[in-house]
Amino acid sequence: MSSATTFGSPTFYSRFERHAHGEGLKGHATHYCAGCGHGLAHKYLAEAIDELGIQDRTVAVSPVGCAVFMFYYLDVGNTQAAHGRAPAVAIGHKTANPDSIVISYQGDGDLASIGLAEIVSTAQLGIPISVIFVNNAIYGMTGGQLAPTTLMGQRSSTSPKGRTPMMGQPLKMAELIAQLDGPVYVERVALYDNKQRVKAKKAIKKALECQVKGTGFSFVEVLAECPTHLGMEPEQAEKWVQESMVPVFPLGVKKDVTAEGPNFPTIPRPAFDAGHLLEVIDASPDAPPRFATAFPTHLDPTDVSLKLAGAGGDGAQTIALFLTRSAIAEGFDSTYIPSYGPESRGGTSYADVHVASEEVLSPASPDPHVLVAFNAPSLSKFGPQVRAGGTVIYDSTVVHEVPPLAPGVRVLAVPFTAIARDLGKVMVKNVVALGALQAATNLFPAETLLNTLRTALKDKAALIPLNEKAFAWGAQAVTDAR
Amino acid sequence: MPSSPGNERPKPFVFAEYCKGCGRCVGACAKDCIHAGTEINALTGLVPIELHLDNCNGCGLCIAACPEPFGLQPAPGADFDLQDPEKMFGARPSTAQKPTDIPAVRVPLPPMEPLVVKGTYASALGALLAGCRHVYGYPITPSTEGAELMAKLLPKLDGVFLQAVSEVATVNIMYGASGAGVPCMTFTSSPGFSLMLEGVSYMIGAELPGVFVNIMRGGPGLGNIGPEQADVKLACRGLGHGNTHALVLCPATPQEMLDLTILAFELTFKYRNPVVLLGDGYLGQITGKVSLPDHMLQPGLPSWAVFGDAAHRGNVINSIVLGERDLEVHNEHLNAKYARMAAEEQRAALYECADADTLLIACNTPAQMAKGAVRALRHQGVKAGLFRPITLWPFPIDALKALLPQLKRIMVVEASPGQIEDELRLALSYADVATPKIEHIRHMGGVLPQTNEIVERVLAGRAQEAQR
Ligand code: SF4
Ligand code: SF4
Ligand code: SF4
Repeated sequence: MSSATTFGSPTFYSRFERHAHGEGLKGHATHYCAGCGHGLAHKYLAEAIDELGIQDRTVAVSPVGCAVFMFYYLDVGNTQAAHGRAPAVAIGHKTANPDSIVISYQGDGDLASIGLAEIVSTAQLGIPISVIFVNNAIYGMTGGQLAPTTLMGQRSSTSPKGRTPMMGQPLKMAELIAQLDGPVYVERVALYDNKQRVKAKKAIKKALECQVKGTGFSFVEVLAECPTHLGMEPEQAEKWVQESMVPVFPLGVKKDVTAEGPNFPTIPRPAFDAGHLLEVIDASPDAPPRFATAFPTHLDPTDVSLKLAGAGGDGAQTIALFLTRSAIAEGFDSTYIPSYGPESRGGTSYADVHVASEEVLSPASPDPHVLVAFNAPSLSKFGPQVRAGGTVIYDSTVVHEVPPLAPGVRVLAVPFTAIARDLGKVMVKNVVALGALQAATNLFPAETLLNTLRTALKDKAALIPLNEKAFAWGAQAVTDAR
Repeated sequence: MPSSPGNERPKPFVFAEYCKGCGRCVGACAKDCIHAGTEINALTGLVPIELHLDNCNGCGLCIAACPEPFGLQPAPGADFDLQDPEKMFGARPSTAQKPTDIPAVRVPLPPMEPLVVKGTYASALGALLAGCRHVYGYPITPSTEGAELMAKLLPKLDGVFLQAVSEVATVNIMYGASGAGVPCMTFTSSPGFSLMLEGVSYMIGAELPGVFVNIMRGGPGLGNIGPEQADVKLACRGLGHGNTHALVLCPATPQEMLDLTILAFELTFKYRNPVVLLGDGYLGQITGKVSLPDHMLQPGLPSWAVFGDAAHRGNVINSIVLGERDLEVHNEHLNAKYARMAAEEQRAALYECADADTLLIACNTPAQMAKGAVRALRHQGVKAGLFRPITLWPFPIDALKALLPQLKRIMVVEASPGQIEDELRLALSYADVATPKIEHIRHMGGVLPQTNEIVERVLAGRAQEAQR
């Protein structure tokens, strides 16, 4: 802690090594212009950190703008962020180490212009970080351009005749942030006289306390002087803030619900337990039973290609996944790829499946051995692509016409929907189709597919008998059709 | 605030060279003790204030009004030696331990049955196995399922999944988390990756690890969500502004989505540099067999991290280097690192290359199509092989160079307008070697090269040559 024989807050480095290598005056003087409000905001921050005893835990995120070099001065963990993104960077730090006290320090261009999305979303998230927003109504670092907080009529290098409505109105960030649900404490303070400075320091300390106590997101807007770009002496600048800025940006507490206690859940700390991880990712040491004695070479010597097509909700994707799981359980290689994206919202939903003895190379099924079609558009679109000698199985409840197909294609009409309806649940029509597919192609033994089905339903065991029945009836329909 | 011996509150004191003469303290004093100076300080060229403390009551208001950390101070006690700068400004005693590198721990896993999962899931599981518990992202097809799985699993593992307001925010949250030293990642797709690139440049400049899984879709612009490989240019040559490079890994199967994600985490910490994993839309969506590794990683904590604790308090994460020569030195340091990556991290998978005279070069899903083509061509007596770069940056030129003397032709198969071929040609050009004829099959817009097409093109090329 502080000692009577050293100068400055102990939260300032005793020498600014990062400021021009700490040589000469720069080792103990800031890069800020004479009278700049940033210096005061830094000082109150340093003193608050000191008083709260949180120096070791603090991470200060500096912005792009005049305060970009805050890490020269504050003897805390330091991160320098991209323009406008300090609150995002702060989220990263806070979620990585919930014990850290994270400060996002930003100017008006950084926070209220380029970084609006970050500050608004972070404030609404309500994660416990402290934002110190230094509003001096102008761009400092880039040389005096219009800021989102520049006053109406105020001149800047990009509003040479003064801000007009063509440039929009000054943005009142404290009010904007205060009306969000996330923050617990929002105040606007100033630095122009002793009284305001005392309040400013108190507000900054309170903002940090919100983190120490874990209450939530805090935001302190500091109306500050930029004598350089106002073209004023610091004393005049203080007066300008008081007389011109304060009427537009009224001072005071805009929101304070700190008494209500924490407004954000405890941020978790990861544990790394192997057994738990394997359980969470559903890994199992038990090999599934195998029923197949050989690869289904009667369909293809090395690689069987299937397509399952219907409308969204027909369940084509589910049985495609079952087929791939079954194949892999049998020790073959298999892939399944869905049609995805906008295509998959309504309209046709199709899935390509490959089962290979060694390795699936091309996962698409442009000319499948087997097509399962749940509706007429699917059959007319993909039926003609089925390769010569292949198999087409379609839902004859809804499809009444078969398009011209390649030579030697076997066509099986199975009323998936009608059978499912007889079973009392239309939803199982895909399992009817799976049963039909098994009976028609003998891709795998029935038991392989049934085992996959049962495993998938292990948490809904009550549904297993119905699904088994659907499978059996689908298979029976094919046998009957023969 | 320093206290002074005795009951009396300390009066202000200032070193002339640390006073900028701003005058803010002048107005702060009700007792008129502080006057604007009249003499220019020779050292600073500024005019420091003058103190006339006869009426001073030690209220301290002037001190609170001084913006300079070493400006106005409470006057030190009488025993204090004002001439001893070491005492005044010397390093403050700290009990903090020096940060050391805490390495990741390998935790053995029992043998498990393979999982049946889609590519994005495989990558997510790889990240979990690599010790990543901090995932940030913004939804974008066709990569979103990776984020969705993380959103489901991470809460069970006491990890953090956070959906950011944008890709811009995502990469900057990663900058923060990574700066704190934890393994972090995102899932994105082409337009989202474009948005992240400024942040990637910052991460490279600040030497931060982070894994970017980019499931490439069709472009330019909004394009479509079909599988493409047209972000190779971005990943290999365009990672934001400035002198940037990152290792670019190209999986071809769901299994490699897992394996290479784990590798990405190892490499990203090894080099303190982001790693990009490029998949195509197909690879993101495809479900297949995925075997688990025999260990998982419990992350350590690097010494350079800004974790927010005593040991790491002295650290800074930043990419701003003001002095021109300082920044040149920083770039030279980065270049040396890039050179190390280029020398040590080239990876390629060679299939039937030993006697090949016709070499297909392809990555991601097109490489699977090409592998099928190699099989078919071999059946027809063509000595075809597949050279599959697993790292696109660095291009695995050393392995390719060894094959060059035996080759009659190279056929680059890709789902992009030639971006992989550009990498190949650039690498060949730097290697300064004679190259055989380079042909290509290119598709765009979500169309993938097909096995039959590759076979036909190779055969047609040979027939043409035979005629000549
Ligand atoms: S330009 Fe303005 S804000 Fe920037 S350091 Fe100078 S006075 Fe401060
Ligand atoms: S301590 Fe108070 S009285 Fe003394 S110089 Fe400072 S402001 Fe004036
Ligand atoms: S406030 Fe500080 S820097 Fe400004 S004139 Fe007074 S002592 Fe000097």
